[in-house]
Amino acid sequence: MTVPAPLDIDQVYHRCPLEKLEFETTEALENLELPCGQERVLRALEFGASMQADGFNLFVLGPSGAGKHELVERFLGKHASDQAVPSDWCHVYNFENADRPRALALPAGQGREFRKDMNGLADELRTAIPATFESEEYQSRLQELQEEMAKRQHQGLFDIQEEANQNNIAMITTPAGFTFAPMRNGEVIDPEEYKKFSDEEKELVESKVEELQKKLQQTIQQIPRLRKEVRERVHALNEEMVQLTLGGPMGELRQKWSHLPEVVDYLDQVREDVVEHAEVFQDSENGPPVGLLVRYRVNLLVDNAETEGAPVIYEDLPNHQHLTGQIEHRARQGTLYTDFTLIKGGSMHRANGGYLILDARRILTQPMAWESLKRILFSGEIRIESLERLYGLVSTVSLQPEPIPVSVKVILLGDRTLYYLLSHYDPDFLDLFKVEADFEDDLDRDDACYSLYARMIATMSRAVKARPLTRDAVARLIEHASRLASDQKKLTAHDRVLKDLLTEADHWAGQKAATLIDATHVQQAIDEREYRASRVRDRSMEQISRGVVKIATRGETVGQVNGLSVLRLGASMFGQPTRITATARPGKGQVVDIEREAKLGGPIHSKAVMILSRFLASRYAGDGDLSLSASLAFEQSYGGVEGDSASIAETCVLLSAIADVPLKQAFAVTGSMNQHGEVQAVGGVNEKIEGFFSVCQNAGELDSHGVLLPASNVEHLMLKQEVRDAMAEGHFTIYPISDISEAIELLTGMEAGVPDEEGRYPEGSFNSKVQARLKAFAEASRKSDDDKANGEGGKTSDD
Amino acid sequence: MTDQPESRPLNPSSGRVLVLLDGSRLSLLALEAAAEIAAVRGAEVLGVFVEEVDVLRSAGYGFAREVGASSGATRPLDSAMMEMRLRGLADQARRSLEQAVGGRGLRQALKLCRGSVIHEVLGLATPDDLVVMGRAGWSAMPGSRLGSTARGLIRKAPGDVLLWTDLKPRQRNRVVVLLNDDQLENHRTLSAAMELARRHRQPLTVLVRSERAGNPDAVRAIEQQLAAHDASARIRVIPRASALQIARLLREESAGQLVLSRQCSVFDEHDMDRLVVELNLPITVTS
Repeated sequence: MTVPAPLDIDQVYHRCPLEKLEFETTEALENLELPCGQERVLRALEFGASMQADGFNLFVLGPSGAGKHELVERFLGKHASDQAVPSDWCHVYNFENADRPRALALPAGQGREFRKDMNGLADELRTAIPATFESEEYQSRLQELQEEMAKRQHQGLFDIQEEANQNNIAMITTPAGFTFAPMRNGEVIDPEEYKKFSDEEKELVESKVEELQKKLQQTIQQIPRLRKEVRERVHALNEEMVQLTLGGPMGELRQKWSHLPEVVDYLDQVREDVVEHAEVFQDSENGPPVGLLVRYRVNLLVDNAETEGAPVIYEDLPNHQHLTGQIEHRARQGTLYTDFTLIKGGSMHRANGGYLILDARRILTQPMAWESLKRILFSGEIRIESLERLYGLVSTVSLQPEPIPVSVKVILLGDRTLYYLLSHYDPDFLDLFKVEADFEDDLDRDDACYSLYARMIATMSRAVKARPLTRDAVARLIEHASRLASDQKKLTAHDRVLKDLLTEADHWAGQKAATLIDATHVQQAIDEREYRASRVRDRSMEQISRGVVKIATRGETVGQVNGLSVLRLGASMFGQPTRITATARPGKGQVVDIEREAKLGGPIHSKAVMILSRFLASRYAGDGDLSLSASLAFEQSYGGVEGDSASIAETCVLLSAIADVPLKQAFAVTGSMNQHGEVQAVGGVNEKIEGFFSVCQNAGELDSHGVLLPASNVEHLMLKQEVRDAMAEGHFTIYPISDISEAIELLTGMEAGVPDEEGRYPEGSFNSKVQARLKAFAEASRKSDDDKANGEGGKTSDD
Repeated sequence: MTDQPESRPLNPSSGRVLVLLDGSRLSLLALEAAAEIAAVRGAEVLGVFVEEVDVLRSAGYGFAREVGASSGATRPLDSAMMEMRLRGLADQARRSLEQAVGGRGLRQALKLCRGSVIHEVLGLATPDDLVVMGRAGWSAMPGSRLGSTARGLIRKAPGDVLLWTDLKPRQRNRVVVLLNDDQLENHRTLSAAMELARRHRQPLTVLVRSERAGNPDAVRAIEQQLAAHDASARIRVIPRASALQIARLLREESAGQLVLSRQCSVFDEHDMDRLVVELNLPITVTS
């Protein structure tokens, strides 16, 4: 097997071809309306926003900072502008059931008009109705009525009095009522004198008195009925007068709103209510009570007068109240009270007929908000209910406004984990959010993408109010976008990172009083960001350079190799070498993964060690037993090891220990391996290489140092300038390997060796040494077993 | 209208305030009003409680029954019970009088007598006395005519009579004086009205009933009298209209109190009853 050729600098960095950028500065570039490379999301949005059927709400998935919100808002803003403006909604008093305010829909913009009309009507009622009651016509009619009734009331009494007087009987008023007594000359006869009357006379008087008493009794007992009749007739008169007064303004309003039967119906109810409360309006001095006039007001819940197209609402605090609206209370003398004018609409109301954008994580962290949202979407109507009521914590009488039918498209923004968790654990979720709009993390980097990406950067720079960028700066940004994507053939689509970088580059350009952002400003922004995040990396490097953490970068050692690992801290990550060691002695074919034994190794790492164990057995033991007891350890690793990217390094170090052949410490190795010894791609190669490069650099002059990495990882390389410079000068080399044998040859300088038909490796090759050593182990094991068996047999025979 | 010199002293405070008490709610309200007037005038209040002889006699009959004014229920009546009830009412009247008048630091006395109310009051009242009474019995019901006692006293009392009513708290705040352009005692009536207006700090309206439109002479005389007392008033000359129209005018003027002379033609035209029916406001009838 031949050793692979080292990579040249063009293979480890994909430069942005300047000829593809046909502009001097980004000023010359037009804005990009929709971001490039997000066709999947855009098609999903287009579909979801247009789809009318129930449950086709959207979930836009993507990492945080990918620009989901901005994209969705921009897309919907354009999409919704062609759609019809939805209705205005208002709550009005329910005259049949005061606790359940009615909801009325009016064409967009007419809600204000209706509110104004009703306020006008209330003002008119305040003045016109008292004026009617003050009018001469009303007063004289009332007078006539009262007189008539008073006459009827008193006539009976007068008639009785008259009749009594005609019969010489006086009707006397007592403190509590009336009594009758015989009289003469207008005065009551003294009872003593009455005794002198003849029996006939007495009988006559007494029978008359008795008759009069009965009549009086009947008359008095009729008075309540008469009074009731008066009340009814006065009420009827009041109603008639109010009807006449209201006739004009009500007629106008009914005419004006005749196109809305519900409004006309409401107006009729208002008229009936005013008529019913006619007496309350009678007090011209104090006017009707405020509480009465409030009933005729209109609570305009949704005002779409200024809305253009369908509304697109973003609710930044999607709690239950903000979504569904709430019923507020006013404190009056220590008592809380409410009425329909204190009903406040929520974002669902405002978005009705349009789109509501919500952050999935925020809505899930608000109590009951998620359940309320689902309830609205399932029922197709918004009910305003307080949380206390939903939880059943209060039982006081409160308003239950009539539910408002809702047709809203909800767009949830969230990361992928949330989407998959909700799909898995919430059985309602997929019924309600059928459209999945998955954001691309990266865009393809091909010849066509440069101009689009440049326009995207131009759009972004305008959005963040940064200076225009020069062509070089755009090229540097594009190259960095590839590095962020960790792929020469990709560009990151992460909106926030690019925007932050642009803003910072603009800051540095400003510091140098530049009018344009050039490549040096972009580079400074990248370097500064890296520096700010480098404290832990620097401490880690310092530990290595001071020898606290032992990493050898020179010489050759048996059973020791430099593996490479990546540490992710917040948004930044860096690579560093780790010493991996191995031991080998005769045994029962086991490879002890010390990390796993110490419970510091993760399952993927354990799997990788098992794979390498089986690889050893199949390659070197053939049909026989693998008589090996080996161990593998990541030295000075205390935080746990996970992943399979060290399996090549582990295999090499184990083979070195078995064959007793030293490995070159100037190399670091990364890559995973399958059971056939083929090398497979791993992640974080740029950081790993740069991490080892820094360690070598810190250890002294760079000389023939290098990294072995899977050949399939080459297209992920976007290495930084100083590594490329060292490569150009031949001080640092990167070898792409595709088989374990290549790694062995590079690390040992020996030929690995290919087995012949009988499975024997060529003499002097590395593999033959391994095979020979394993054979020796097998013999040693057998001998040991025989000795043990003999010893035991001897004992038995002795017995 | 006349410019003849005043035959009696203008200041009415020289007399007493006689208030008719019968234990009814309206008589208690009238007592309050009387006490207020007396407090302003510094006058003595004489409560008059008359045990009507007709009532006592009627209770003396074996067949006597009382028909309840509200319920219509009939129950037996006898003299002893009536005497007791009247005594109870008299005690209540005394207590009310002490409370209302004594509380204001004024002199007060209760005169208990037996006989007819009109006769007893006329026997007690002098021309300087102001007689205050509430509308009593079933004439107190809204919309009813003036009772015989009130009618009799308004016509016969030697001095001024104030017929008190249950005032509703409305913003009727003017003192309105109703005059005839041809009556003799206008001067005195206007004086009483000016005193009332001053006492209650209320504006004054003078309504002059005249056959002649405008009647500048009558208006001039009134203006002179007002000027002499440094008072001002709105003067309106009105035709000799019916009680109904007067009532409407009074409402227009937001009349809170009405002052008129016993000689006013309203009395002659038998309209007084209607005016009383129409207006639920205190009426002062001057002699």
